[in-house]
Formats: sequence, structure tokens, C-alpha cells
Amino acid sequence: METNKLLQKLNPADSFTLAMDEEIRSDGLAGSFGCFALQLEDQPDMNKLSQRIEEFAERFPVARASLKQVGKFYYWVDRKDPPPLFHYHKYPQEYDPADFQKDTLIAVMNKCETRETLAPIEFHWVSGKTGGVFFIRWIHPFCDARGADLIFKFLCTANREQRDMLGMPETGSLVNTRLKQYKWWQKALLFFKAKRHIDRLDQMISIQPFELPQDNLQLDYQVQRLSPEQTIKVNEMARQTVGLGCISLYYIGCLMRALEQLNSEAKGEAYCVPYAFNLRKQRAVTPMLGNHICALFAQASRKQVQNRRGLFEHLKKQHTEVIRKQLDYAFLPLMWAGGFLSLDKYGKVMRLAHGKDHERSSFWFSDIAQVDLNNDCFFDAKISGVFHVCHVSSPPSFALLSCIHRQQLTLSYCFVKPVATSKKIDRLQHLMLTELLAES
Amino acid sequence: MKQKLRDFIFEELIFVAKPKQFSDDDDLLEAGLDSMGIMRLIMFIENEFGITLPDNEIEPDNIRSFNTLQSWILTHDKS
Repeated sequence: METNKLLQKLNPADSFTLAMDEEIRSDGLAGSFGCFALQLEDQPDMNKLSQRIEEFAERFPVARASLKQVGKFYYWVDRKDPPPLFHYHKYPQEYDPADFQKDTLIAVMNKCETRETLAPIEFHWVSGKTGGVFFIRWIHPFCDARGADLIFKFLCTANREQRDMLGMPETGSLVNTRLKQYKWWQKALLFFKAKRHIDRLDQMISIQPFELPQDNLQLDYQVQRLSPEQTIKVNEMARQTVGLGCISLYYIGCLMRALEQLNSEAKGEAYCVPYAFNLRKQRAVTPMLGNHICALFAQASRKQVQNRRGLFEHLKKQHTEVIRKQLDYAFLPLMWAGGFLSLDKYGKVMRLAHGKDHERSSFWFSDIAQVDLNNDCFFDAKISGVFHVCHVSSPPSFALLSCIHRQQLTLSYCFVKPVATSKKIDRLQHLMLTELLAES
Repeated sequence: MKQKLRDFIFEELIFVAKPKQFSDDDDLLEAGLDSMGIMRLIMFIENEFGITLPDNEIEPDNIRSFNTLQSWILTHDKS
């Protein structure tokens, strides 16, 4: 029997994202795909771009690998039929360019393929009348958002020697590296600490701001880009309200309040929000592939959300306690243990409140922070904006991604239709902006 | 004190290709110290030096460099 060469075993954080992929698929959506997009004012140099993508795939063969289960664990394996990575979508004259770009991106994100046959990463150019959108779509075990940032850096870096430094030296999994720092009894202590923390979160039923899941689900997104002046104001308000150390919590708190105003009738007792943080050092150029993240939760009762000042004091105190008690790293042994479960069982453990059948998350959140591209051009085309999109399970059917590029805060509202509608997200954007700019 | 801060920041929080060339006046925020990193740094300082740093003083001017960090810590160090 012909066997495929094993290229790489999934690390515990990769397995965590793979279990979420299984959950998203079982909810009737395409899978745990992430997308990082550049809006360009001109067409990039296509020859140079396709050569650079080829170079990337040669340097990182996992880019053309396939996922395979061997025993209990999953591996990236070599495949005989390497998939095409670069796709060109030519703008038809009868279409509105902005509609064509968005419709194409949504179609790519909603395309259903088995994990075994899809390409772990794809590069897409969607042309418009003049410029267009260049985006990468990846399945989450392949890399995380910071890794996607590094892949863009790899593509953008003109100098070969500087490109070679990206992703080098190979460090392996940062989750495994940190786990190795603990003795077995420390891991056990952390495991139970994290479990108790989650049990405490589960004492309150999480609010689901959107309706219950329906049929024919599709991912959709809207992008809200603040002006540089608005971004400065939001940063000032965030610093005043939660301090320099908790900027992400400002976005989370504002969104909790905006959702509460959008649907104050939604059932549940508290907003519970998982958000990932990165184990890489800031500005590190390695590791590029794989997931190197751990999870945190922000939770606030409906009553706390209604009092703006009290909400931010509560979220800040909660976050400080989590860091002080090292509850952030406590989830690492949980992720390691989860890798031994079946994907279905692991997914349910992550999503459902312990001993109950309600969803733990009210929405997903990720703060990508400063997007650090080498320059303002991408293969000679000027970058006018960036945004991210991600899939989310249903429920909660909604995720918010934030980033800052060229002094502009960009918020990506990712939502599952028809559970959430474009009209509701328009209203949510308006409420969110009001909250972000509000004087405390 | 500065060496302990340097070791923690460069080992745990930010990547700098040549840490020895990073001066005590260079900008840590420009070098990538983010909000999560700041929280971890505050917790490290409080544990390591046995002091409490008031929330309302967590300002860019106090965190910007190793020199400003040291000055800030010393204003709260009663030992």
C-alpha cells in the first residue's frame, strides 16, 4: 500500500483549531478558515507575485500538504496531487467591482471541501476596474493570524536574504515549548486551575445576541474602518477607561454594550467572550506556520454591562486577576489533554458549558493589533486598506476582529447569515462606534 | 534591576535581533511592547520587586524605556 510521507504532527493549539473546524463543519458551514486581505489601488506585478508564492510553497512544503489522521493524532502529509495555490478572479465588466470583490471572497470562504483535499493555504487576486483585493485563505491548523502576517511579510520582502530570515530558526511549537517548562505535577495543578476557572464561568448562562441556528448558513462580513482622527480618539478613551495594559478589553466591553443595545431581549445571564493571545514574542519572525496561541475569557453579567464605568472596571480587574494567577497559561495543559479526545468530543468540551448544553461563547474576538507590513506597497501596488475575516461556529454566529493599519482602526464583523442579517450588523456598527467614542 | 527587566522583556515579551544593542533609552513601545506584554511586565515587576504599581500610572511615559521604567519603579520602592 502506498503511504504518504508525514511532514508534521499537529501541535496542541493546532488540534484545538482542528476541533473547532469540525464543529463549524457540523454546524453546516465550510470550516475554520481565516482570511487576511489587502485592498490595492493598482494591480500588483503578477509575475513577481506568482514566483514569490512558488518560492513560499517550496520553502514550506506543508503549504501543499494534506491533513491525515494516524492513530489518535493528525499530521500534515505529503500528497501526490499538489493543489494550485494561486487563483486569479478576473472582473467581469457588467459587475460592480466592489460587489464582485466581496462576492468572490465570500464564495471562497464558503466553499465546502473536505479537509483531506483542500489546500491548507490559497492566494487569491480579485481584480476590479483599476485595483482589486489580494487575500490569503487558510485553514486554521495551518497557521494563526500572526503567522498570516508573517506570510505577507515573506511575500512583500524584496531581499532574498531577509526573506530567508523569516520563519527561521525553526522553533517548533511554542505551546509544546512552554508545556515542557512545567513538571508533571505543575501541569496537573494548572489543568485543575483552568478547569475550576471554566466551571466558574459556566455558572452563568451565556447570552446569545443572535437568533438560533437555521438552515442554509453562509458566512458574511462587513468592514468598519475608522478615520485616523477617530482612531486617536478611541485610543485615548481606551487608555483612560481600561489603561494601557488592557486595550483589547475596551473593544470587547464596547461590543458587549453595543450588542446589549441591539438585542436587550436576548436570553441569558452574562456575555462570555473567548479571545486568543499569542505565545510569540512581539515582532518575532518565527515560527511562521502552526498555531501558537492560548485562550482567555472575558465575562460580564448583563447588569455589569449596563453600567459602562462599572463594566470596564470589572473587565480590567478580571483580566488582572487572570494574569496574576497565571490562568492564561493554565489552558495549555487543557489543550494538550484535548488532543487525546476525538474531534467531536473535544469540540463539545470547548463549546458547551460543563454539564449543560448551552453555548459558552456569546461571540468570538481577536485583536490582531498593529499590522506590520514592510511598506505601503504590495508588488508595486499601493495598499489602501487591510481587513481580516474568519469563520465562526453557529451559535454564537458572530466574531469581531480588530486591527490597526496606518493609524486606522479596522473592525471586521464576521457573521453567519441568516442568523444575523446585514441590516442588524449595520445597526451594530453604528452602536459600536458610539460606544468606542463615548466619554466615560 | 535593569538587567532583570531586560532579561524578562527580551526572553518573554519582545523579539529584538541584537538585544545588547538595544539601549536603556530606546523605545520599548516602538519595539513592540503591546498591551498584554505591559500587563505581564507589571505583574513581573510587582512579584520581583515586591511593590505595587498604581493603575493610573501605567502610562507610556513610565514604560517607554528601561530608564523610565527604572525611575518609575524606584519612586515606589520603599526598601
